[in-house]
Amino acid sequence: MRLIGAKVPRVEDRRILTGRGRYVDDVRLPHMLHATFLRSPLAHARITSIDASAARSAPGVVGVYTGEDIKGMSAVITVPMAAGCKVGEFYALATDKVRFVGDPVAIVVAETRHQAEDAAELIDVEYDALPAVATYEAALDSASPRLFDDLEDNVIYRSENSIGDVDAAFARADRVVTTTLRQHRVANVPMEGRGAVADFDPSSGELTYYAATQSPQGLRMALARTLELPIERLRVLAGDVGGGFGLKGNIGREDFCLAAVSRKLGQPVKWTEDRNEHLLAAGHAREETIDIEVAVTNDGKLLGMRAHMLMDHGAYPGVPFAAAMFTGLVQMLLPGPYTFEAYAFDVTAVNTNKCVYVAYRGPWEMETWVRERVIDDVAREIGMDPAELRRRNLMAGAPEDRLITGLGVAGISTRESLDRALALIGYDDFRRQQESARAEGRCLGIGFASFIEAAPGPPEMRMGGGMFGGERAKVKLESDGHLLVITAQAPHGQSHETTLAQVAAEEMGVPFEHVKVVHGDTRVTPFSLIGTGGSRAATWASGAVLVSTRKVKEKVLSIAAEMLEISPDDLEINDGIVSAKGTPTKSLPLAQIAMQATLAPNSLPAGTDPLLEANEAFKGEGITGSGWSGGTHACTVEVDLETGRVRILRYVVVEDCGRVINPAIVEGQVRGGVAQGIGEVLYEHAAYDEDGNFLAGTFMDYLLPTATEIPRIEIEHIESDPDGELGFRGVGEGGAVVAPATLTNAVADALAPFGARVQDQYLPPSKVLELAGVVAG
Amino acid sequence: MTRRPLQLTVNGRPQEVFVEPRRTLADVLREDLELTGTHVGCEHGVCGACTVLVDGLAVRSCLMLAVQAQGSSVMTIEGLERDGEMHPLQEAFRDSHSFQCGFCTPGFVMTALAMLEEGQALSEDEWREELSGNICRCTGYQSIVEGVQLAAERMGVGQ
Repeated sequence: MRLIGAKVPRVEDRRILTGRGRYVDDVRLPHMLHATFLRSPLAHARITSIDASAARSAPGVVGVYTGEDIKGMSAVITVPMAAGCKVGEFYALATDKVRFVGDPVAIVVAETRHQAEDAAELIDVEYDALPAVATYEAALDSASPRLFDDLEDNVIYRSENSIGDVDAAFARADRVVTTTLRQHRVANVPMEGRGAVADFDPSSGELTYYAATQSPQGLRMALARTLELPIERLRVLAGDVGGGFGLKGNIGREDFCLAAVSRKLGQPVKWTEDRNEHLLAAGHAREETIDIEVAVTNDGKLLGMRAHMLMDHGAYPGVPFAAAMFTGLVQMLLPGPYTFEAYAFDVTAVNTNKCVYVAYRGPWEMETWVRERVIDDVAREIGMDPAELRRRNLMAGAPEDRLITGLGVAGISTRESLDRALALIGYDDFRRQQESARAEGRCLGIGFASFIEAAPGPPEMRMGGGMFGGERAKVKLESDGHLLVITAQAPHGQSHETTLAQVAAEEMGVPFEHVKVVHGDTRVTPFSLIGTGGSRAATWASGAVLVSTRKVKEKVLSIAAEMLEISPDDLEINDGIVSAKGTPTKSLPLAQIAMQATLAPNSLPAGTDPLLEANEAFKGEGITGSGWSGGTHACTVEVDLETGRVRILRYVVVEDCGRVINPAIVEGQVRGGVAQGIGEVLYEHAAYDEDGNFLAGTFMDYLLPTATEIPRIEIEHIESDPDGELGFRGVGEGGAVVAPATLTNAVADALAPFGARVQDQYLPPSKVLELAGVVAG
Repeated sequence: MTRRPLQLTVNGRPQEVFVEPRRTLADVLREDLELTGTHVGCEHGVCGACTVLVDGLAVRSCLMLAVQAQGSSVMTIEGLERDGEMHPLQEAFRDSHSFQCGFCTPGFVMTALAMLEEGQALSEDEWREELSGNICRCTGYQSIVEGVQLAAERMGVGQ
């Protein structure tokens, strides 16, 4: 039975395709109330007064709570994963100040959502406006108003690091290439926005929280802390979740409000945000700038890199992760698998009057974009083909190869992926076509970029099992011989009900249909702070399911061995039947053993364990292959110099995520990530003006790519270590991480004849025309 | 606010509900009739997740007031199965691994169904154009386009 590697149809699809999915907005409880939030229309202001009396007496209204109320209903919010980032005091609702357009000021609870929204309009808030801090310059200026009175200024995080003799490397260089690369603010925008139903039972003191979350356990812990509730009385339930891309690992201040209000009222309270609220207040990502210098010799030897990073952190930190933490990954990965001799990096993160910065599909993506973009600039500067420059400096993945930042990269296939991607896209042919097209006045370009992603990363990145101790899965052989698998993952599109069943069924030797994967109920699921995120599932969840299934299998085989009087080593399980290898007539159905173990455990052979369950921790033992996912993407574009439109002609992916569990699911992850990367470059911008007004509050302003903007994406796999039992590596983020570099490099290549230097990641038509010199900048 | 009676047929069954005139067809389907398969993704008519068929035409149920559906025949995602069997379009989407999180799915299914029922053979580019009023954030669309093309082939559309 070969399930791993097969395009097994998804378990999830039947319910999703027939309208039987259960998303959080589908939850309906008896006596359920509906909440809405009144949000700040100003970027930065002191609240001088709130009059909610008219709202409180409006039809259907059950309660209106302001910041002052919420202070008495929940604790100050803490950010456990802040890693040196300064955190000002803040609560679930704005108290003394509002700090961005969309900051929640009051929560209104009514019998219907319409009534709650009607009443919210009756609340009268007086503000005393303050100057907005909406640019890096304003945030770094000590004369600007502080967002938080308890912090000394708006700089909340600084870090610097230097490796090797940087000055010496730059002194030896023939040339130093210097540029500033700016990445704009974008938003995750899952198709299902945020929402929840908080259901507090006053008789038991228990809170059941129905959530659209990637991280049920992290949410449970944060709710318990902020509501000061004993954690055993808190249960988070996540059903189907309509996408997240990192956003739904962040715990919203609205979550704390809902829980507090349900406790106050002793009734279930539902909140479903609308799309405007989502774009305004759910979370944004990526707004970063890096000034970079690269020292290089005339024959293309990369010597040194200096990088100065700025991060626009928004007004409030994320929970549980402050985004400043992600800069550590940028620092670690920015030089990539290239043989630099010296490297210096520093970062400053600032508070601004904008929405919270959250994780978005590869929150360290800046490193790949900046490195791969600047390498193209270096190639142009020294007159060398960018592919050749990369080949001269890329590590081969030899056993001793290490990034300059110290991480081992033995076994990476970056060079192979580069060669394959260029062969697939027909690099040399395209260069000839490009030349003849230019003669006809057409503007073609080709771009490519490589990345490596720590999924799971080398052993030194996963001490003790990575992200605090690996992952567990519970596996139970039910009385009918079927398997129940309980995962710590919280899938929201990643198809774990399918892939983890593939892993368990193949390991146990039962039909795929006999495996049920359970997730999203903190009363039974193992702990994981992250849940689903960080491209962890392929390695950590699969590994956990594998070791727990193996443990159950060992128990079954030791029972069967006694019953059949055959050594366990000579037994196998196929299609739910235990039999002697080579002698299929000596056999026992799993169901028979399982039923006996369930009903009459004392009747089993002495010395065997009737509890046919396991809850093993997978800490990375036996991981095979390099530990790095990675690859190279290449694309070709045509730029229309009349309209500034960028048309993608071909997009090629060469991806190495090790042993592929389900190719259709892996390719879906890759294509979805690429589509987000394309959107980020050409269409999406969570824009603010200099006064902190938000300019992208609808889908008419925040443009998402549709089926006509995303090309066919051709994928080839490099399955390094195809037979490794634990050679599965994560694939969720890579597409989104490398696509912006690939596409911006292609546009830069197309516009090279105009002397254009691409320094912005956002390349809407107006910018493209400016770069081409068609319109003034 | 005053409620008005509304009679309509949903998935072949006659229904009568009382609704405030300001409520949308999506509100009534999801809340009054408990047909939660229709999803609301943007509430301003861009994303297409809430698409249903009204008298055979694909309609954004977030942009249509429920009272405008008086006397109409509405079909939602819940109406496609027959005797426990999925519609060939649903099967083709499953076989093509077309979707991931599933939130946009009902809208794509209903949009594609309306087009398939028009009976025209479409090229890949034409299908992309037809589906460009629906937004999916997970897939990059290729698997959805492949799914609908497979359905058209299996259903003999345009042959």
